[in-house]
Amino acid sequence: MEVLTHLLGGVLTVLSPVNFMVLAIGLVLGMLVAVLPGLTLVMGVVLALPFTYKMGVGPALILLTAMYASGTYAGAITSILFRIPGEPMDVPLLWDGYEMTRKGQAARALGWSLAASFIGGIVSAVMMVAMAEPVARIALSFSSPEFFAVLFFGLISVVALSGDSVVNALVSLCLGLLIASVGVDSIYGSERFAFGQPFLLDGIEFLLVMVGAYGIGEVLTRLGTGFASTASAGDGQARFRTALPRWVEIVRMKYTLLRGTLTGVVVGIIPGAGATVSAFVAYGLESQYGANRKNLGTGAPEGIAVAKSAATASVGGALVPLLAMGIPGSGATAIILAAFLLHGIQPGPQVFVTSTGLVYTVFAAVFLSIIGMCILGYFAIKPLCKVLDAPEAIVSAFVVVFCFVGAFAARNSLSDLYVISVFGLIGYLAERFRFPIAPLVLGTILGPLAETNFMTMMVSFDNDWTVLFRRPISAVIMVLALAGLFWPVVRGALRHLRATRMHAERTR
Amino acid sequence: MSERVRRVLPHLVLLVITVLLYWEATQIDTSAAGEGHRIGPDFWPKAVLVIMGVLCAYEIVKRLVVKTTFTAPGLTGDLTRNPADAEARDATAADAPPAADVVVPAPPEQRWRLVAGIVLIGAFALGVDWLGFFVATALFLTTFMLIGGLRRPWLATLIGVAGSFVLIVIFMRVAYISLPLGAGPFRELSLALLRLLGVS
Repeated sequence: MEVLTHLLGGVLTVLSPVNFMVLAIGLVLGMLVAVLPGLTLVMGVVLALPFTYKMGVGPALILLTAMYASGTYAGAITSILFRIPGEPMDVPLLWDGYEMTRKGQAARALGWSLAASFIGGIVSAVMMVAMAEPVARIALSFSSPEFFAVLFFGLISVVALSGDSVVNALVSLCLGLLIASVGVDSIYGSERFAFGQPFLLDGIEFLLVMVGAYGIGEVLTRLGTGFASTASAGDGQARFRTALPRWVEIVRMKYTLLRGTLTGVVVGIIPGAGATVSAFVAYGLESQYGANRKNLGTGAPEGIAVAKSAATASVGGALVPLLAMGIPGSGATAIILAAFLLHGIQPGPQVFVTSTGLVYTVFAAVFLSIIGMCILGYFAIKPLCKVLDAPEAIVSAFVVVFCFVGAFAARNSLSDLYVISVFGLIGYLAERFRFPIAPLVLGTILGPLAETNFMTMMVSFDNDWTVLFRRPISAVIMVLALAGLFWPVVRGALRHLRATRMHAERTR
Repeated sequence: MSERVRRVLPHLVLLVITVLLYWEATQIDTSAAGEGHRIGPDFWPKAVLVIMGVLCAYEIVKRLVVKTTFTAPGLTGDLTRNPADAEARDATAADAPPAADVVVPAPPEQRWRLVAGIVLIGAFALGVDWLGFFVATALFLTTFMLIGGLRRPWLATLIGVAGSFVLIVIFMRVAYISLPLGAGPFRELSLALLRLLGVS
């Protein structure tokens, strides 16, 4: 009952005129960045951050949360209608959504996408409200070994989940951890990797790494392959209409929607794994266990429903570790964390006591964003598709400027511009040589927390790291993390062995 | 440069960086940790560097010495492909190099654009303090659009100048973000612009 009262208070706060306007702007911006091929959701949220510097913490969080939620939906429209995925998470929609469009079922495909996003989003928002406070209460009892284990699990899971090579992902993570260790260390106050440069003594903000690697790095990657003059592919088949599925059809697909939503929430909770991983994992599960798995990839509505429900459900999931433990569950929530910190609020177990109103404002913003996103998604398909007419060269030029302003405005420091330029180049090179960027960024974000908890644990437990495996909670988390790390290696080795044997038999 | 050496080059460069950083890590002042057996501020970076060095060395040995194509993909590696294409994929899997080893080079005509883009971004970062945000941004936007393939210079210039003006309004008038004004005549120009906008 108390939760409902707080939530109602949050809803009323969000519905106040200024906050509601901020929410609407956030929804529109989130949809725009999700539709434009040169911009990703995380980039969009990063670019919006400088506008929140002078805002109050409430509107700032409402803006970013609205962008985050609506950004998980709009890319579906261009994927289904034009075969242009606005976001990597929308790739599964090419397999089924665009196939439905080719069969003349575009309106149905859009309807399924909207319904699945709504169901996934609302259910995950309910689960987020139900889970966050109990998780925070559990986290209150955590000591440094448990916190380190959770952080280790997050760091390892992004390695296990991402990329074509676990080794490259681990190298990328190590780079991120090293970047995070630059500057004066927080335990002993010793200088590390500052190379006599005063600006390095303060360390390298993870925001700069994100802006550089995701923003400028992505622009350079696209420049390297050639910008599209215009992304629009008006093929005459698209009728910009949404036909929502009937209630009976939704009930018939309940297990698919449930699978997608639960996968989205669970994967969203894992630090570093956001909407894209959720969508792919849910789609993978559907292709293994779904009733219509044989037709998946050929224009089956189940493919749309599972991917979209998972992507939107990841929003609620990713906010749980952020609010309850101060650990961001995705790239976008890392920016929301930055917004909290910029306003002097540290998310974590205590925030439920010290800033209850603010936490429930965020919760309410998620609910209202999901509803607003669906309303906009239903009525604004045509203008959203018009955005694709913008040449990528123009969009990318402005993206770079936004990146620079975002980096500069945080500390009014010109050296931050040099830093993001360097990380832009690193982001491009990482993409070029197949080193995933997500582990690097997550390493930079979680590195200081992981190190501090590790060092505190070693000091408190007399340098005995085995304490990680002797305390029940940390032991379970560590075992899961290690299993997650070694499973891809074992699986890869077995597959390679099988493939080599088959190849030898064929050539014999 | 042979194809095999090119394939290990990123890991080789990273290994050299790792060794250099490890040497730098040995210079970290550990006196605050005391003489006892407490781990000092150098422990964490050294541990990370050792792991990174081992991983890079492993990749180099694997590709240059053992010459195996074995690569362990992440758990989502397979999921990013349409299951309907799975059969075709399986048929070619044994012969194909692992996805992590495939580095697609930039098309030749795009290479100069890429290099020019990188140089321009660096120049913007270095020049904004001297030119001021308005001039630097107008120049950057115009040039970047042309490098990016926009074929009409007048349109690029118009968008560049108008875009820079709109950004000044948004950032300095609406969001109250303080941006570089530049030096000498560029500073005067920026101040005149701000006076025009009512920001002083």
